[in-house]
Amino acid sequence: MMDRSDSPHHQFTNRRGEAGQTRASTLRPDRIVAPPDAPEFDRDLADLPPEVRWRMWMRRIEAVLFASASPVSRENLARVVGPGASVDLLIEDLAADLAERPYDVARVSTGWVLRTKVAYAPVIRAAADVNGQGLHLSQFDIAVLAAIAYHQPITREGLKDIFGKDISRELIGRLAERDLIATGPRAPRRGAPYTFVTTDVFLVAFGIETLRDLPDREQLADAGLAAP
Amino acid sequence: MTAAPKPLSQVPTIARAPAWVSVANAHAPEDLAFHSGAALAHLHGVSVFDGLPQALWRARLALCAAESCVKLVGRQERAADLRDAVCLLRPGDHPGPAGAVFQQWTRAVSRPISDASLTRALPGLTADQIRVSLAGQGSGSPVARAAMVLQAVLTDAPQAETAALILADAALAKALGWDHVLPLLALGLKPRDLRQRDDDLRQACYRALVMAAGQAVGLAADLTRRAAHLRAVAPKLRAKGAEQAVALFLTRDALAPSILAKDLQAGMSDRAARRLCDRLVDLGAVRELTGRDSFRLYGV
Repeated sequence: MMDRSDSPHHQFTNRRGEAGQTRASTLRPDRIVAPPDAPEFDRDLADLPPEVRWRMWMRRIEAVLFASASPVSRENLARVVGPGASVDLLIEDLAADLAERPYDVARVSTGWVLRTKVAYAPVIRAAADVNGQGLHLSQFDIAVLAAIAYHQPITREGLKDIFGKDISRELIGRLAERDLIATGPRAPRRGAPYTFVTTDVFLVAFGIETLRDLPDREQLADAGLAAP
Repeated sequence: MTAAPKPLSQVPTIARAPAWVSVANAHAPEDLAFHSGAALAHLHGVSVFDGLPQALWRARLALCAAESCVKLVGRQERAADLRDAVCLLRPGDHPGPAGAVFQQWTRAVSRPISDASLTRALPGLTADQIRVSLAGQGSGSPVARAAMVLQAVLTDAPQAETAALILADAALAKALGWDHVLPLLALGLKPRDLRQRDDDLRQACYRALVMAAGQAVGLAADLTRRAAHLRAVAPKLRAKGAEQAVALFLTRDALAPSILAKDLQAGMSDRAARRLCDRLVDLGAVRELTGRDSFRLYGV
Protein backbone atom coordinates (compact mmCIF):
# COMPACT_ATOMS: atom_id res chain seq x y z
CA MET A 1 0.00 0.00 0.00
CA MET A 2 1.08 3.53 -0.62
CA ASP A 3 1.63 5.88 2.20
CA ARG A 4 -1.68 7.75 2.48
CA SER A 5 -0.01 11.02 3.32
CA ASP A 6 1.47 11.04 -0.15
CA SER A 7 -1.25 12.41 -2.39
CA PRO A 8 -1.16 11.49 -6.08
CA HIS A 9 -0.47 15.12 -6.82
CA HIS A 10 2.59 15.12 -4.64
CA GLN A 11 3.88 12.10 -6.49
CA PHE A 12 3.30 13.73 -9.79
CA THR A 13 5.47 16.67 -8.88
CA ASN A 14 8.16 14.20 -8.00
CA ARG A 15 7.85 12.39 -11.22
CA ARG A 16 10.63 13.91 -13.23
CA GLY A 17 13.14 11.35 -14.22
CA GLU A 18 16.27 11.75 -16.14
CA ALA A 19 16.30 9.30 -18.98
CA GLY A 20 17.41 5.87 -17.92
CA GLN A 21 16.90 6.82 -14.32
CA THR A 22 14.05 6.69 -11.91
CA ARG A 23 12.75 9.23 -9.47
CA ALA A 24 15.35 9.39 -6.78
CA SER A 25 13.21 11.14 -4.21
CA THR A 26 10.09 8.99 -4.14
CA LEU A 27 9.16 6.27 -1.71
CA ARG A 28 11.24 3.21 -1.08
CA PRO A 29 9.52 -0.12 -1.70
CA ASP A 30 9.76 -1.20 1.92
CA ARG A 31 7.60 1.77 2.79
CA ILE A 32 4.94 1.21 0.22
CA VAL A 33 4.26 -2.43 1.09
CA ALA A 34 1.83 -3.03 3.89
CA PRO A 35 2.49 -5.78 6.38
CA PRO A 36 0.98 -8.94 4.92
CA ASP A 37 -1.60 -9.22 7.68
CA ALA A 38 -3.22 -5.86 7.01
CA PRO A 39 -4.48 -5.61 3.44
CA GLU A 40 -6.70 -2.58 3.06
CA PHE A 41 -7.71 -3.58 -0.42
CA ASP A 42 -9.25 -6.53 -2.21
CA ARG A 43 -6.47 -8.67 -3.64
CA ASP A 44 -8.64 -11.20 -5.43
CA LEU A 45 -11.21 -8.91 -7.09
CA ALA A 46 -13.37 -11.99 -7.45
CA ASP A 47 -16.45 -9.99 -8.46
CA LEU A 48 -14.82 -8.59 -11.59
CA PRO A 49 -14.82 -10.32 -14.97
CA PRO A 50 -11.41 -11.94 -15.64
CA GLU A 51 -10.19 -9.40 -18.21
CA VAL A 52 -11.11 -6.40 -16.11
CA ARG A 53 -9.52 -8.04 -13.09
CA TRP A 54 -6.30 -8.69 -15.01
CA ARG A 55 -6.13 -5.06 -16.19
CA MET A 56 -6.77 -3.93 -12.64
CA TRP A 57 -3.85 -6.02 -11.41
CA MET A 58 -1.65 -4.59 -14.17
CA ARG A 59 -2.60 -1.07 -13.07
CA ARG A 60 -1.77 -1.89 -9.46
CA ILE A 61 1.66 -3.14 -10.41
CA GLU A 62 2.19 -0.04 -12.50
CA ALA A 63 1.11 2.12 -9.54
CA VAL A 64 3.50 0.39 -7.16
CA LEU A 65 6.39 0.70 -9.61
CA PHE A 66 5.47 4.32 -10.30
CA ALA A 67 5.60 5.18 -6.63
CA SER A 68 8.85 3.41 -5.90
CA ALA A 69 12.31 4.79 -6.58
CA SER A 70 14.07 1.46 -6.18
CA PRO A 71 13.32 -1.92 -7.76
CA VAL A 72 10.29 -3.78 -6.42
CA SER A 73 10.68 -7.53 -6.10
CA ARG A 74 8.32 -10.13 -7.49
CA GLU A 75 7.45 -11.13 -3.95
CA ASN A 76 6.34 -7.63 -3.05
CA LEU A 77 4.42 -7.16 -6.28
CA ALA A 78 2.63 -10.46 -5.69
CA ARG A 79 1.03 -8.96 -2.58
CA VAL A 80 -1.16 -6.57 -4.55
CA VAL A 81 -2.56 -9.10 -7.02
CA GLY A 82 -4.50 -12.34 -6.63
CA PRO A 83 -2.52 -15.20 -5.02
CA GLY A 84 -2.60 -17.29 -8.20
CA ALA A 85 -1.72 -14.51 -10.62
CA SER A 86 1.68 -14.62 -12.31
CA VAL A 87 3.54 -11.37 -11.69
CA ASP A 88 5.78 -12.12 -14.65
CA LEU A 89 2.85 -12.40 -17.06
CA LEU A 90 1.29 -9.25 -15.63
CA ILE A 91 4.58 -7.39 -16.12
CA GLU A 92 4.86 -8.75 -19.64
CA ASP A 93 1.39 -7.41 -20.47
CA LEU A 94 2.15 -4.14 -18.74
CA ALA A 95 5.33 -3.78 -20.80
CA ALA A 96 3.34 -4.37 -24.00
CA ASP A 97 0.80 -1.83 -22.77
CA LEU A 98 3.52 0.75 -22.25
CA ALA A 99 5.02 0.31 -25.71
CA GLU A 100 3.68 3.69 -26.86
CA ARG A 101 4.51 5.48 -23.61
CA PRO A 102 7.75 7.42 -23.02
CA TYR A 103 8.66 5.08 -20.17
CA ASP A 104 8.91 1.34 -19.77
CA VAL A 105 9.32 -1.43 -17.23
CA ALA A 106 12.94 -2.37 -16.69
CA ARG A 107 14.18 -5.51 -15.00
CA VAL A 108 16.87 -4.76 -12.44
CA SER A 109 18.56 -7.42 -10.39
CA THR A 110 15.62 -9.27 -8.85
CA GLY A 111 12.96 -6.62 -9.32
CA TRP A 112 11.43 -4.08 -11.67
CA VAL A 113 11.31 -0.30 -12.00
CA LEU A 114 9.62 2.19 -14.29
CA ARG A 115 12.12 4.15 -16.32
CA THR A 116 11.86 6.92 -18.89
CA LYS A 117 13.08 5.75 -22.29
CA VAL A 118 16.56 6.85 -23.26
CA ALA A 119 15.27 8.60 -26.41
CA TYR A 120 13.64 11.22 -24.21
CA ALA A 121 16.85 12.15 -22.41
CA PRO A 122 17.46 15.46 -24.28
CA VAL A 123 13.82 16.48 -23.91
CA ILE A 124 13.80 15.80 -20.20
CA ARG A 125 17.09 17.59 -19.68
CA ALA A 126 15.84 20.62 -21.63
CA ALA A 127 12.66 21.14 -19.69
CA ALA A 128 12.72 19.35 -16.35
CA ASP A 129 14.64 20.28 -13.28
CA VAL A 130 16.43 16.95 -13.10
CA ASN A 131 19.40 18.42 -11.30
CA GLY A 132 17.15 19.13 -8.36
CA GLN A 133 16.73 15.43 -7.79
CA GLY A 134 19.83 14.00 -9.36
CA LEU A 135 22.40 12.16 -7.32
CA HIS A 136 24.22 15.37 -6.35
CA LEU A 137 27.56 13.66 -6.56
CA SER A 138 30.86 15.18 -7.51
CA GLN A 139 33.10 13.60 -10.07
CA PHE A 140 35.31 12.30 -7.30
CA ASP A 141 32.29 10.80 -5.50
CA ILE A 142 31.45 8.97 -8.72
CA ALA A 143 35.05 7.80 -9.05
CA VAL A 144 34.94 6.34 -5.55
CA LEU A 145 31.59 4.76 -6.30
CA ALA A 146 33.07 3.19 -9.43
CA ALA A 147 36.02 1.89 -7.43
CA ILE A 148 33.63 0.29 -4.96
CA ALA A 149 31.60 -1.20 -7.81
CA TYR A 150 34.66 -2.81 -9.38
CA HIS A 151 36.48 -3.84 -6.21
CA GLN A 152 33.67 -4.71 -3.84
CA PRO A 153 33.70 -5.73 -1.06
CA ILE A 154 36.29 -3.07 -0.26
CA THR A 155 37.21 -1.14 2.89
CA ARG A 156 38.08 2.55 3.20
CA GLU A 157 41.65 1.38 3.59
CA GLY A 158 41.38 -0.40 0.23
CA LEU A 159 39.98 2.74 -1.36
CA LYS A 160 42.85 4.71 0.08
CA ASP A 161 45.26 2.36 -1.68
CA ILE A 162 43.49 2.98 -4.96
CA PHE A 163 43.23 6.77 -4.73
CA GLY A 164 46.40 7.46 -2.78
CA LYS A 165 44.53 9.48 -0.20
CA ASP A 166 42.01 9.03 2.57
CA ILE A 167 38.41 8.71 1.47
CA SER A 168 36.39 10.75 3.93
CA ARG A 169 33.60 9.30 6.01
CA GLU A 170 31.35 12.05 4.63
CA LEU A 171 31.90 10.86 1.08
CA ILE A 172 31.06 7.27 2.05
CA GLY A 173 28.10 8.69 3.98
CA ARG A 174 26.84 10.55 0.90
CA LEU A 175 26.91 7.37 -1.15
CA ALA A 176 25.25 5.36 1.63
CA GLU A 177 22.59 8.02 2.16
CA ARG A 178 21.55 7.66 -1.47
CA ASP A 179 21.44 3.88 -1.01
CA LEU A 180 24.06 3.47 -3.73
CA ILE A 181 26.28 1.47 -1.38
CA ALA A 182 25.71 -0.66 1.70
CA THR A 183 27.93 -2.28 4.29
CA GLY A 184 29.26 -5.69 3.36
CA PRO A 185 31.07 -8.39 5.34
CA ARG A 186 33.72 -7.20 7.79
CA ALA A 187 37.28 -7.34 6.54
CA PRO A 188 39.44 -9.87 8.42
CA ARG A 189 41.77 -7.16 9.66
CA ARG A 190 42.47 -5.33 12.91
CA GLY A 191 39.32 -3.67 14.09
CA ALA A 192 37.17 -5.68 11.66
CA PRO A 193 36.49 -2.67 9.41
CA TYR A 194 33.37 -2.57 7.30
CA THR A 195 33.61 -3.30 3.62
CA PHE A 196 31.34 -1.53 1.18
CA VAL A 197 29.30 -3.04 -1.62
CA THR A 198 26.96 -1.54 -4.21
CA THR A 199 23.20 -1.96 -4.03
CA ASP A 200 20.32 -2.50 -6.43
CA VAL A 201 19.71 1.24 -6.33
CA PHE A 202 23.19 1.66 -7.79
CA LEU A 203 22.26 -0.62 -10.68
CA VAL A 204 19.07 1.36 -11.31
CA ALA A 205 20.78 4.73 -11.11
CA PHE A 206 23.31 3.71 -13.73
CA GLY A 207 20.87 1.78 -15.86
CA ILE A 208 22.55 -1.60 -15.67
CA GLU A 209 20.98 -4.94 -14.88
CA THR A 210 23.88 -6.65 -13.12
CA LEU A 211 27.45 -5.79 -12.13
CA ARG A 212 28.63 -7.63 -15.21
CA ASP A 213 27.24 -4.83 -17.32
CA LEU A 214 29.88 -2.49 -15.91
CA PRO A 215 32.30 -1.54 -18.68
CA ASP A 216 35.05 -4.11 -18.99
CA ARG A 217 38.07 -2.96 -17.05
CA GLU A 218 40.60 -4.25 -19.55
CA GLN A 219 38.81 -2.56 -22.43
CA LEU A 220 38.71 0.71 -20.51
CA ALA A 221 42.43 0.46 -19.89
CA ASP A 222 43.13 -0.34 -23.53
CA ALA A 223 41.15 2.72 -24.57
CA GLY A 224 43.19 4.83 -22.18
CA LEU A 225 40.11 5.60 -20.08
CA ALA A 226 41.32 3.94 -16.92
CA ALA A 227 44.53 3.04 -15.23
CA PRO A 228 45.35 -0.60 -16.00
CA MET B 1 34.40 -48.05 23.55
CA THR B 2 37.87 -46.87 22.92
CA ALA B 3 38.77 -43.19 22.84
CA ALA B 4 41.78 -43.71 20.63
CA PRO B 5 41.30 -42.85 16.98
CA LYS B 6 41.01 -45.88 14.83
CA PRO B 7 44.03 -46.44 12.68
CA LEU B 8 43.34 -45.45 9.12
CA SER B 9 43.35 -49.04 7.94
CA GLN B 10 40.32 -49.89 10.08
CA VAL B 11 38.15 -47.05 8.85
CA PRO B 12 36.01 -48.21 5.93
CA THR B 13 36.99 -46.20 2.90
CA ILE B 14 35.18 -45.03 -0.17
CA ALA B 15 36.40 -46.58 -3.37
CA ARG B 16 36.93 -44.56 -6.50
CA ALA B 17 34.93 -45.35 -9.61
CA PRO B 18 36.61 -47.87 -11.90
CA ALA B 19 39.43 -46.30 -13.87
CA TRP B 20 37.64 -46.89 -17.18
CA VAL B 21 35.01 -44.31 -16.19
CA SER B 22 36.69 -41.37 -17.85
CA VAL B 23 36.02 -38.72 -20.44
CA ALA B 24 39.28 -39.77 -22.10
CA ASN B 25 37.69 -43.13 -22.94
CA ALA B 26 34.65 -41.57 -24.57
CA HIS B 27 35.01 -41.24 -28.29
CA ALA B 28 31.45 -41.17 -29.60
CA PRO B 29 28.56 -39.13 -28.19
CA GLU B 30 26.86 -42.23 -26.81
CA ASP B 31 30.11 -43.15 -25.01
CA LEU B 32 29.86 -39.93 -22.99
CA ALA B 33 26.30 -40.80 -21.95
CA PHE B 34 27.47 -44.25 -20.89
CA HIS B 35 30.37 -42.93 -18.85
CA SER B 36 28.28 -40.26 -17.12
CA GLY B 37 25.69 -42.90 -16.26
CA ALA B 38 28.36 -45.11 -14.74
CA ALA B 39 29.83 -42.18 -12.81
CA LEU B 40 26.44 -41.16 -11.42
CA ALA B 41 25.56 -44.73 -10.42
CA HIS B 42 28.84 -45.00 -8.54
CA LEU B 43 28.26 -41.60 -6.96
CA HIS B 44 24.85 -42.77 -5.80
CA GLY B 45 26.49 -45.58 -3.87
CA VAL B 46 28.99 -43.15 -2.37
CA SER B 47 26.26 -40.71 -1.33
CA VAL B 48 24.68 -43.29 0.97
CA PHE B 49 28.01 -44.46 2.42
CA ASP B 50 27.66 -44.93 6.15
CA GLY B 51 30.42 -42.70 7.51
CA LEU B 52 30.02 -39.87 5.02
CA PRO B 53 29.09 -36.55 6.66
CA GLN B 54 26.50 -35.75 4.01
CA ALA B 55 25.63 -32.19 5.02
CA LEU B 56 29.30 -31.23 5.20
CA TRP B 57 29.95 -32.89 1.85
CA ARG B 58 27.17 -30.89 0.23
CA ALA B 59 28.33 -27.69 1.93
CA ARG B 60 31.87 -28.14 0.58
CA LEU B 61 30.60 -28.95 -2.88
CA ALA B 62 28.43 -25.84 -2.63
CA LEU B 63 31.58 -23.84 -1.97
CA CYS B 64 33.25 -25.33 -5.06
CA ALA B 65 30.11 -24.67 -7.11
CA ALA B 66 29.92 -21.08 -5.87
CA GLU B 67 33.57 -20.58 -6.73
CA SER B 68 33.02 -21.75 -10.29
CA CYS B 69 29.89 -19.60 -10.63
CA VAL B 70 31.84 -16.57 -9.43
CA LYS B 71 34.60 -17.34 -11.94
CA LEU B 72 31.96 -17.76 -14.60
CA VAL B 73 30.85 -14.14 -14.23
CA GLY B 74 34.46 -12.95 -14.40
CA ARG B 75 34.92 -12.06 -10.74
CA GLN B 76 38.24 -12.43 -8.96
CA GLU B 77 37.05 -13.96 -5.67
CA ARG B 78 38.09 -17.51 -4.85
CA ALA B 79 36.89 -20.06 -2.29
CA ALA B 80 38.70 -18.41 0.62
CA ASP B 81 37.12 -15.04 -0.17
CA LEU B 82 33.67 -16.61 -0.39
CA ARG B 83 34.15 -18.22 3.00
CA ASP B 84 35.27 -14.91 4.49
CA ALA B 85 32.33 -13.06 2.98
CA VAL B 86 29.83 -15.42 4.56
CA CYS B 87 31.59 -16.12 7.86
CA LEU B 88 32.40 -12.46 8.58
CA LEU B 89 28.97 -11.23 7.62
CA ARG B 90 27.02 -9.61 10.42
CA PRO B 91 23.23 -9.44 10.50
CA GLY B 92 21.86 -6.67 8.32
CA ASP B 93 24.97 -6.36 6.16
CA HIS B 94 25.10 -7.30 2.49
CA PRO B 95 27.20 -10.34 1.52
CA GLY B 96 28.50 -8.66 -1.64
CA PRO B 97 28.15 -10.15 -5.11
CA ALA B 98 30.39 -13.18 -4.55
CA GLY B 99 29.17 -13.88 -1.01
CA ALA B 100 25.60 -13.76 -2.32
CA VAL B 101 26.38 -16.54 -4.81
CA PHE B 102 27.81 -18.72 -2.03
CA GLN B 103 24.78 -18.02 0.18
CA GLN B 104 22.50 -19.00 -2.66
CA TRP B 105 24.26 -22.34 -3.12
CA THR B 106 24.37 -22.97 0.62
CA ARG B 107 20.65 -22.33 0.86
CA ALA B 108 19.99 -24.62 -2.07
CA VAL B 109 21.89 -27.61 -0.66
CA SER B 110 20.96 -27.30 3.00
CA ARG B 111 17.29 -28.23 2.77
CA PRO B 112 15.63 -31.19 1.10
CA ILE B 113 14.54 -30.43 -2.45
CA SER B 114 11.06 -28.94 -2.59
CA ASP B 115 9.34 -26.24 -4.62
CA ALA B 116 9.21 -24.06 -1.53
CA SER B 117 12.87 -24.42 -0.50
CA LEU B 118 14.11 -23.68 -4.01
CA THR B 119 11.75 -20.76 -4.44
CA ARG B 120 13.38 -19.27 -1.37
CA ALA B 121 16.87 -20.03 -2.61
CA LEU B 122 16.24 -18.67 -6.11
CA PRO B 123 14.38 -15.37 -5.80
CA GLY B 124 15.21 -14.50 -9.41
CA LEU B 125 13.13 -17.37 -10.79
CA THR B 126 9.38 -17.77 -10.74
CA ALA B 127 7.64 -20.43 -8.67
CA ASP B 128 6.20 -21.82 -11.91
CA GLN B 129 9.62 -22.13 -13.49
CA ILE B 130 10.86 -24.05 -10.45
CA ARG B 131 7.81 -26.30 -10.23
CA VAL B 132 7.96 -27.21 -13.91
CA SER B 133 11.72 -27.81 -13.78
CA LEU B 134 11.47 -30.13 -10.80
CA ALA B 135 8.42 -31.96 -12.15
CA GLY B 136 10.69 -33.17 -14.96
CA GLN B 137 8.02 -33.31 -17.61
CA GLY B 138 8.62 -35.28 -20.72
CA SER B 139 10.84 -38.27 -21.20
CA GLY B 140 14.58 -38.41 -21.33
CA SER B 141 17.38 -39.31 -18.99
CA PRO B 142 17.96 -37.33 -15.80
CA VAL B 143 20.92 -35.64 -17.48
CA ALA B 144 18.87 -34.72 -20.55
CA ARG B 145 16.23 -33.21 -18.27
CA ALA B 146 18.79 -31.22 -16.32
CA ALA B 147 20.25 -29.94 -19.60
CA MET B 148 16.77 -28.87 -20.68
CA VAL B 149 16.26 -26.97 -17.44
CA LEU B 150 19.62 -25.27 -17.86
CA GLN B 151 18.80 -24.26 -21.40
CA ALA B 152 15.31 -23.02 -20.51
CA VAL B 153 16.54 -20.75 -17.70
CA LEU B 154 19.48 -19.42 -19.71
CA THR B 155 17.29 -18.72 -22.73
CA ASP B 156 15.04 -16.60 -20.54
CA ALA B 157 17.83 -14.89 -18.65
CA PRO B 158 21.32 -15.40 -20.13
CA GLN B 159 22.95 -13.76 -17.11
CA ALA B 160 21.28 -16.00 -14.53
CA GLU B 161 23.98 -18.70 -14.64
CA THR B 162 23.99 -19.34 -10.90
CA ALA B 163 20.23 -19.76 -10.69
CA ALA B 164 20.24 -21.89 -13.84
CA LEU B 165 22.94 -24.21 -12.52
CA ILE B 166 21.30 -24.57 -9.12
CA LEU B 167 17.98 -25.42 -10.71
CA ALA B 168 19.61 -27.83 -13.19
CA ASP B 169 21.48 -29.61 -10.38
CA ALA B 170 18.21 -29.74 -8.43
CA ALA B 171 16.38 -31.23 -11.40
CA LEU B 172 19.17 -33.79 -11.84
CA ALA B 173 19.13 -34.73 -8.15
CA LYS B 174 15.36 -35.03 -8.16
CA ALA B 175 15.39 -37.22 -11.26
CA LEU B 176 18.02 -39.44 -9.64
CA GLY B 177 15.85 -39.82 -6.55
CA TRP B 178 18.07 -37.84 -4.20
CA ASP B 179 16.61 -35.77 -1.35
CA HIS B 180 19.08 -32.91 -1.60
CA VAL B 181 20.67 -30.85 -4.34
CA LEU B 182 24.20 -32.05 -5.02
CA PRO B 183 26.25 -29.44 -6.89
CA LEU B 184 27.67 -31.28 -9.90
CA LEU B 185 26.92 -29.56 -13.20
CA ALA B 186 28.15 -26.30 -11.68
CA LEU B 187 31.48 -27.98 -10.96
CA GLY B 188 32.06 -29.43 -14.37
CA LEU B 189 30.56 -27.05 -16.93
CA LYS B 190 32.84 -24.51 -18.56
CA PRO B 191 31.74 -20.97 -19.49
CA ARG B 192 31.59 -21.85 -23.16
CA ASP B 193 29.46 -24.93 -22.39
CA LEU B 194 26.72 -22.65 -21.12
CA ARG B 195 26.45 -21.06 -24.54
CA GLN B 196 25.76 -24.43 -26.15
CA ARG B 197 22.24 -25.58 -27.00
CA ASP B 198 20.34 -28.84 -27.33
CA ASP B 199 22.55 -31.81 -28.25
CA ASP B 200 25.79 -29.91 -27.69
CA LEU B 201 24.68 -28.76 -24.26
CA ARG B 202 23.61 -32.29 -23.33
CA GLN B 203 27.01 -33.64 -24.40
CA ALA B 204 28.71 -30.94 -22.33
CA CYS B 205 26.58 -31.99 -19.34
CA TYR B 206 27.59 -35.65 -19.76
CA ARG B 207 31.23 -34.64 -19.86
CA ALA B 208 30.85 -32.28 -16.90
CA LEU B 209 29.18 -34.96 -14.81
CA VAL B 210 31.91 -37.53 -15.35
CA MET B 211 34.43 -35.02 -14.05
CA ALA B 212 32.26 -33.60 -11.28
CA ALA B 213 31.26 -37.04 -10.00
CA GLY B 214 34.95 -37.95 -9.76
CA GLN B 215 35.62 -34.77 -7.82
CA ALA B 216 32.64 -35.36 -5.53
CA VAL B 217 33.74 -38.95 -4.83
CA GLY B 218 37.27 -37.79 -4.02
CA LEU B 219 35.92 -35.19 -1.63
CA ALA B 220 33.56 -37.73 -0.07
CA ALA B 221 36.45 -40.13 0.57
CA ASP B 222 38.53 -37.36 2.11
CA LEU B 223 35.72 -36.04 4.32
CA THR B 224 34.73 -39.54 5.43
CA ARG B 225 38.28 -40.13 6.62
CA ARG B 226 38.45 -36.77 8.41
CA ALA B 227 34.99 -37.18 9.92
CA ALA B 228 35.93 -40.61 11.28
CA HIS B 229 38.92 -39.03 12.98
CA LEU B 230 36.84 -36.18 14.39
CA ARG B 231 34.26 -38.60 15.75
CA ALA B 232 37.03 -40.70 17.24
CA VAL B 233 38.59 -37.81 19.16
CA ALA B 234 35.24 -36.38 20.24
CA PRO B 235 35.14 -38.39 23.52
CA LYS B 236 38.44 -36.77 24.56
CA LEU B 237 36.89 -33.33 24.60
CA ARG B 238 35.92 -32.13 28.04
CA ALA B 239 34.32 -28.81 27.09
CA LYS B 240 30.62 -28.43 27.68
CA GLY B 241 28.84 -28.49 24.36
CA ALA B 242 31.74 -30.25 22.67
CA GLU B 243 29.50 -32.97 21.33
CA GLN B 244 27.26 -30.45 19.66
CA ALA B 245 30.28 -28.56 18.35
CA VAL B 246 31.48 -31.74 16.68
CA ALA B 247 28.05 -32.18 15.15
CA LEU B 248 28.22 -28.62 13.79
CA PHE B 249 31.65 -29.23 12.31
CA LEU B 250 30.19 -32.25 10.55
CA THR B 251 27.55 -30.11 8.82
CA ARG B 252 29.22 -26.76 8.06
CA ASP B 253 31.96 -25.92 5.62
CA ALA B 254 33.67 -23.50 8.01
CA LEU B 255 33.02 -22.02 11.44
CA ALA B 256 34.36 -18.95 13.16
CA PRO B 257 34.67 -19.54 16.90
CA SER B 258 32.21 -16.70 17.50
CA ILE B 259 29.64 -18.36 15.23
CA LEU B 260 30.28 -21.69 16.93
CA ALA B 261 29.71 -20.07 20.34
CA LYS B 262 26.49 -18.47 19.14
CA ASP B 263 25.09 -21.60 17.51
CA LEU B 264 25.64 -23.90 20.45
CA GLN B 265 22.51 -24.37 22.51
CA ALA B 266 24.57 -25.24 25.55
CA GLY B 267 26.04 -21.76 25.49
CA MET B 268 29.77 -21.15 25.29
CA SER B 269 31.89 -18.03 25.51
CA ASP B 270 33.84 -16.90 22.46
CA ARG B 271 37.00 -17.69 24.39
CA ALA B 272 35.91 -21.20 25.21
CA ALA B 273 34.89 -21.73 21.59
CA ARG B 274 38.30 -20.53 20.45
CA ARG B 275 40.01 -22.91 22.89
CA LEU B 276 37.86 -25.78 21.68
CA CYS B 277 38.78 -25.03 18.07
CA ASP B 278 42.48 -24.89 18.94
CA ARG B 279 42.20 -28.16 20.82
CA LEU B 280 40.55 -29.78 17.81
CA VAL B 281 43.35 -28.50 15.61
CA ASP B 282 45.93 -29.95 18.04
CA LEU B 283 44.14 -33.27 17.85
CA GLY B 284 44.27 -33.07 14.07
CA ALA B 285 40.48 -33.27 13.88
CA VAL B 286 39.79 -29.91 12.24
CA ARG B 287 41.94 -27.50 10.26
CA GLU B 288 42.38 -23.79 10.48
CA LEU B 289 41.37 -22.76 7.00
CA THR B 290 42.65 -19.21 6.55
CA GLY B 291 46.28 -19.25 7.70
CA ARG B 292 45.58 -15.97 9.52
CA ASP B 293 46.42 -15.10 13.11
CA SER B 294 43.07 -13.49 13.71
CA PHE B 295 39.59 -13.93 12.27
CA ARG B 296 40.39 -17.58 11.97
CA LEU B 297 37.99 -20.05 10.44
CA TYR B 298 37.90 -23.73 11.24
CA GLY B 299 36.59 -26.69 9.32
CA VAL B 300 36.97 -30.45 8.91
